[in-house]
Amino acid sequence: MVEMTAVQMATRRAEGVPVPTDKADKLFRVRAVSTEVEARPLEATATAPTKLNPTASKRYYFYLMAPAIIILAFISLYPFFWLIIMSLQDADIGTSEWNDFANYTRLFTDSRYLDGWVLLMKYSAMCLSLQLGIGIFLAVIINNSRFEKFLVTAFLMPMMMAPAVAGLVWLFLYNGTFGWYHWLFQSLGFLGGASILASTSTAMLGIVIVDVWQWTPLITLITLAGLKRVPQDQLEANMVDGASPFRNFISVTLPNLYPVLLIAFLLRFMDNFRFIDSALVLTGGGPANSTKILPIYLFEVSFKFFKLGRGAAIALTLLVVTIILGMILVRVFDRPQVKKG
Amino acid sequence: MASREVVRYESGFTKAFNIFSAVFIGLYLVWTLLPIFIMFMSSFKDLLEAFKIPAVGDWAGVSVFFQFTPTLKHYVSLFVDGNFSQYMLNSLMAAGGSAIVSVIFGSMAAYSLSRIDFRGKSDLFFWIISTRMAPVVAVMVPLYAIFRSLELVGTLPGLILAYSTFNLPFAIWILKGFFDNVPYAIEEAQMVDGATRFQAFRSILPLVAPGIGAFVVLCILFAWNDFLFAAIIGSGGAKTLPVATRELVQPQNIQWGAIMAAGVVTTLPMMLLGLVIRRYLVTGLTMGAVKE
Repeated sequence: MVEMTAVQMATRRAEGVPVPTDKADKLFRVRAVSTEVEARPLEATATAPTKLNPTASKRYYFYLMAPAIIILAFISLYPFFWLIIMSLQDADIGTSEWNDFANYTRLFTDSRYLDGWVLLMKYSAMCLSLQLGIGIFLAVIINNSRFEKFLVTAFLMPMMMAPAVAGLVWLFLYNGTFGWYHWLFQSLGFLGGASILASTSTAMLGIVIVDVWQWTPLITLITLAGLKRVPQDQLEANMVDGASPFRNFISVTLPNLYPVLLIAFLLRFMDNFRFIDSALVLTGGGPANSTKILPIYLFEVSFKFFKLGRGAAIALTLLVVTIILGMILVRVFDRPQVKKG
Repeated sequence: MASREVVRYESGFTKAFNIFSAVFIGLYLVWTLLPIFIMFMSSFKDLLEAFKIPAVGDWAGVSVFFQFTPTLKHYVSLFVDGNFSQYMLNSLMAAGGSAIVSVIFGSMAAYSLSRIDFRGKSDLFFWIISTRMAPVVAVMVPLYAIFRSLELVGTLPGLILAYSTFNLPFAIWILKGFFDNVPYAIEEAQMVDGATRFQAFRSILPLVAPGIGAFVVLCILFAWNDFLFAAIIGSGGAKTLPVATRELVQPQNIQWGAIMAAGVVTTLPMMLLGLVIRRYLVTGLTMGAVKE
């Protein structure tokens, strides 16, 4: 934190340079203004040219916006209304008749549906904790290293792969007779004869590993971008005061990383609900429904048995819960940070 | 920036930590690249050789992995016997089409959103981005019903439209950031010189061209890698690479060699593109929330 003497503040105010208030200070963690900036003539710090059109004739801009809004409305608003209507019908391919709320009331007694939620939460929790733990640790240790650029490029590779294709490649690696990872697990004494995907107790771990393999690098990338913005002078000042690197990490780096980590967390959290490609290819919900996370169950109901009405009811609950959870998470994490001394 | 000195510690603990870090990075690198490496190698192996594996715990036996005579037969079976050039074309047209649609309409919308202020702008913005957060399967149920009645299922236009559910909001979200960096004074000057408003808009496009280029590539990446939309909306007439690859898995017979070759065909172009736009990737994948 930049400490400003009263004299400095007064001279700044006199010059018309904004002085950081406590509130702004908390939000932005102002860095020390380098001498170079202070030496600059005042005109250079005058207000930046406006981005907005000052004499906007709004109609023109609304015309420019219209095609995109119309397309989006057609593929998201209109289907959303359809989703609600379908969820109240006994809709199948070609047929549909009203059945009031039967689709919804059935959900309460549908054990696969309820299990789907539990499994989805379990899956998300496992994926997120592993990805965040490994991802942040990796970012911290490769930051400023000589090989940073090379490593980041190498880490990007799994993310360029189609999740469905990645799932197939891992299916090969996990195979119980010729899979190299199966061989590795067995050699290290982790597994019996059965493939990791064949046993109800380990199948979930199997799909988590693939998700972690593919998306941990994203957390690393985001964290790295955040690390570049941690004020070095604070770290150096603490160091001069005798703080250990670990202490420095806890009290300076981590609070500065906080907003970035929030984004990483939310992004992966949403994605675990959104993408099921690799899990679908790897287990398709089996064995014995042990990996039937809710989106997979929804996929099955809608596109395997074509119970579109029931599917719509499930989809709507999934959609609503996703939105609510997303909003709660933003609330919880977006609380103003407590300043550490 | 470059001259900033990074202070390094030299205590016993830090040394141990550094060694641990180096080992961790090394292991992680291997674990990241190994599946891709095995995919590449297996695509050139005869099945008998691809299935060769040492006995459990026989670490020296790993060398069997490298003992094989390269063969192109899996690629031949994809492109000569199979229909993979058609699927590749489908993938390319669906991904390219959705990128073009998204970037044209997306940049127009992003530009206007960047230039004017109106009531409810932030709500509109939130709605736009929320369409991208929704679970794909949940969106697909009604979309499938609508597309079926419009006879868009199994067609490329249907697939392109479906891909717009995630690419268009993404384009608007990211490109707005680019337009925000261009001061309005530039267009103003153009219009003083007699340009129409649309000409003024066109005149600033070169300024954001690098950004637009990178996001065309990202849109292509998302659409190319998609599986669920392609499997449901594209089923039938517009089969894309991931779907075709998945279909090589049959209950009786999994054609592993062909799957690995198809995996390489699907992955390689995207890896090369990814290297080209490396700089924009974080911005893109995080929807611009973190700028490098």
